[in-house]
Amino acid sequence: MMKSGNAQVLEPADKTSTSSTRNVGKAVRRLEDLRIIRGKGGYTDDIELGNQHYAAILSSPYAHARIKRIDVSKARNLPGVVLVLTGQEAAKITRPMTSRAATVSPKSHYIMANEKVRYMGEPVAAVVATSRYIAQDAVDLIEVDYEPLPVIASIEDAMKKDAPRIYEELDSNEIVTDHFEFGNLKRAFQEADRIVKDRIRIHRYASTPLETFVVNAFYDQTRDELLAYATDQQPGRTVGSVSACLGIPSSNIRLIVPPVGGGFGYKLAVWQYVAIISLLSMKCGKPVKWVQTRMESLYAFHRPRGYMDAEFALRKDGKILGVKLTDWQSDGNWPYVSALYSLIKFANMSGVYEVPNLQFEYHCVATNDPPVVQDRGVGKPFMAFAFERMMDLSAKELGIDRARIREVNFVPPEKMPYTTASGEVYESGNYPLVFKKALEMSRYNYWINEIPKLRKEGRYVGIGIGCAIEPGTSNLGYYFLSKASEPDYNGAGQMSTVEIGQDGIIKVNMNGPEIGTGHVTTITQVVGDIFDVDAEKILVDSWFDSAHGHLTYAGTYSNAFNDVYLGAVMTAAKRLRDKALRISASYLHLPLESLSFRNGGIFSEEAEKEVLTLKQLAKISYGQLLSFPKGEEPGLKVVAGYINPTAKPFVRSDFNVQLTHANSTHIVVVEVSKDTWAPRIIDYVIVHDAGRVLNPGIVEGLAIGSTASGIGGALYEEFLFDQEENNLTLTFGDYMKPTAMEIPEIRLEMHESPAPNTVLGTKAVGEGGAITSLGAVASAVENALEPFNVRIRSLPITPENIWRMIKDTDEYRKLKGAN
Amino acid sequence: MTVVNIKINGKKYSDDIEDRTLLVHFIRDHARLRGTHIGCDTGHCGACTVLLNDRPVKSCQILAVQVDGESIETVESLEGSDGKLSIEQEAFREHFAMQCGYCTSGFLMMTHHLIREYPELSREEIREKLHGNYCMCTGYQQIVDAVQDAQKRHNDKKS
Repeated sequence: MMKSGNAQVLEPADKTSTSSTRNVGKAVRRLEDLRIIRGKGGYTDDIELGNQHYAAILSSPYAHARIKRIDVSKARNLPGVVLVLTGQEAAKITRPMTSRAATVSPKSHYIMANEKVRYMGEPVAAVVATSRYIAQDAVDLIEVDYEPLPVIASIEDAMKKDAPRIYEELDSNEIVTDHFEFGNLKRAFQEADRIVKDRIRIHRYASTPLETFVVNAFYDQTRDELLAYATDQQPGRTVGSVSACLGIPSSNIRLIVPPVGGGFGYKLAVWQYVAIISLLSMKCGKPVKWVQTRMESLYAFHRPRGYMDAEFALRKDGKILGVKLTDWQSDGNWPYVSALYSLIKFANMSGVYEVPNLQFEYHCVATNDPPVVQDRGVGKPFMAFAFERMMDLSAKELGIDRARIREVNFVPPEKMPYTTASGEVYESGNYPLVFKKALEMSRYNYWINEIPKLRKEGRYVGIGIGCAIEPGTSNLGYYFLSKASEPDYNGAGQMSTVEIGQDGIIKVNMNGPEIGTGHVTTITQVVGDIFDVDAEKILVDSWFDSAHGHLTYAGTYSNAFNDVYLGAVMTAAKRLRDKALRISASYLHLPLESLSFRNGGIFSEEAEKEVLTLKQLAKISYGQLLSFPKGEEPGLKVVAGYINPTAKPFVRSDFNVQLTHANSTHIVVVEVSKDTWAPRIIDYVIVHDAGRVLNPGIVEGLAIGSTASGIGGALYEEFLFDQEENNLTLTFGDYMKPTAMEIPEIRLEMHESPAPNTVLGTKAVGEGGAITSLGAVASAVENALEPFNVRIRSLPITPENIWRMIKDTDEYRKLKGAN
Repeated sequence: MTVVNIKINGKKYSDDIEDRTLLVHFIRDHARLRGTHIGCDTGHCGACTVLLNDRPVKSCQILAVQVDGESIETVESLEGSDGKLSIEQEAFREHFAMQCGYCTSGFLMMTHHLIREYPELSREEIREKLHGNYCMCTGYQQIVDAVQDAQKRHNDKKS
């Protein structure tokens, strides 16, 4: 078992040394930390360009309103202001954004509001000034006349026949809808002993990285080139999107992503602001920096709210025969990612269970909710939450234990690799064993006996179970499953650049942004093994730089690092190693097979010693060309790519949305206070199988951290809106993040089922807790509230929401009467 | 505009600033020390925590003119002039107590204060003392490990 905080450290003597990383699988201390703890994180806001100017953005105070008039004269006349640009002016010189998934896309959504605003917080105008304070002053001087329009605050309102339309050019507020069926649902439901139905809801919450969006852009008019720094998780796509929006050839755009202060998917949405700030720089000729305020970041880019109607056809022993799901989602009004939350659910739609017959229908609806982004796990946390709620409910209706119903349905390990009804391939895993370990660690049976006794003492204690798949590495064509045209991209791969510099240092650029998940360290471990060198001879670039080779969708998301990024790095590193050895053999007149990289240099078996240092190797490779073998090209730089071989082409009857499938069981014990109705977590156990673990310290942190984010969503966090769709949660005083006081001590054990389809046997780990925790926490609170006989169908489970659920129950009256 | 003199990490910084300049902007934009971060603008998250005359404060909630003539310590003060890491820095690295690192400076300054202010803190007390510092990545467990370890190292050094 891996105990918290006891990560094994390899280099106990020299605390600042970075040596001895030739140990994939060990808890090597992070190299990133050496800059972070010195206050040299080098985030985007830490970069200052010469003649730096600052932007501020005017946000809409209305959720739905026509813009009648904008008067910017006062703002323009403020000393220090160099540019004011309205959304209407921007729309004339930019192209609108379009939906990736919808067959018919809206055409009126620009980077800033044009004729009308569609959500509270939508950018309406922007200012550039000599200081950030003056820019903000100028924003306050812009006068806008709005004509409020009827607000669409719910899916039901949006779907009414005569509902006002969010996009007037479309026939309906339903942006995308689709229906899939796998197997024989009719028969499954006919043969069932019992059909269990419910509607499970998901609320609006988000990961809120501590660093907000930051963009710093300079359009160089002498070269017609754009240089932009941005907190961007998908810069590969941003280059293309900004190019299309502003009409700058993508070859004239250089996008750099310094280390990001938390990604969590939130920073997949920054490209719109990269376009705005770049446009401002083009117009004023100055380098322009914009730092989003916290309020601006809480306006928009959340998880969507919605609900799922679920029907389970069950045999009386608990065996699932078929599942029907209808997913309704308020996608707000950013059509760009509409349907992604629904379609990605195929990656974990049947959870860790055998579901032979499956039906899925989804409806993505535009409302005046703010835009959504692919927040940590995208649709998978809700999918797992809904499925696990239905498992508990089915157990209750069939009168069997919640652990037992899961055991009856687990995919048996002997069926691995297992293909789900829709075609998702679970490559490896032992779900019953992970579950069993978690039951033991949590002392499940002890609690099942103890809880009734505690109830007699007047204590509401409960135990809950959550089991889930944590998919990783998107097969990106899934975006386009519902669209009858050729997808922009499909499959899963990456590119990487590895070189030995002229000073003999091995430089690696993986070209995915560094978002805090330890990639620099992990790559150093892996590359250190390939070249058998110490970390001090390896320099992993923590910047994404679009000048290096990358794919159109390059970015750090979908838990693909462990798979295709490492694959690309290793492919490039091995090719470089082979080339270096060929040059060495030719130069030294030694047989190629007698040479190898060893202990930081080139070693000869024949000479039984080091024959070249890396510095000597570089000197030869970059300058002494006549000693090369015939046909060898000079230099020691390799750009290479890697594709996960298990991505299938998209056929609607058989497709895989993601390519690796970690799994975990969470078991939670909670006590609900009968005075305040606040739930408190007493014990939290995780058994997580993320395949092979390359660095336990990093993996443990991700498993615990993602769980904490799920606990926030389950118990505390919610964006609240009034009936006019005004966001009422615009500071961290109103939007409640869990602190160190709310997050419990988590007991974690890793189980390792290596993935057969990744280069090192690894699987995803960054989203797991966020996916599995929701159901586990809800299960525990519902169990604690069993005397009230209530069902938890929605989150967050705040004291107020608990009180609303129980206040009209007999148990509550009995309790209050007794007091 | 007002001329202020603020000592940061032992060095005097003097500038003619707008009265409304926040201390955190003075530190970042005038003294150009970028280790102190802004996370929430409202005093909740603690990313901007610095020490004002040895007491932790949230530098986004103070105007620079309010601390004219005072002494501030930021994360950049922790490392010794010989490049030796402080015990807080060592402990945070040892325990993987950061991921993206954006909140870390604030936690390090809080830890620096806590281990000197209190001879002993339980894990629960550490969690309570840290409730004004948000971390969106770690789930806090490894941070609590690090603070405990830093306290032990500090006490060992004293005895």
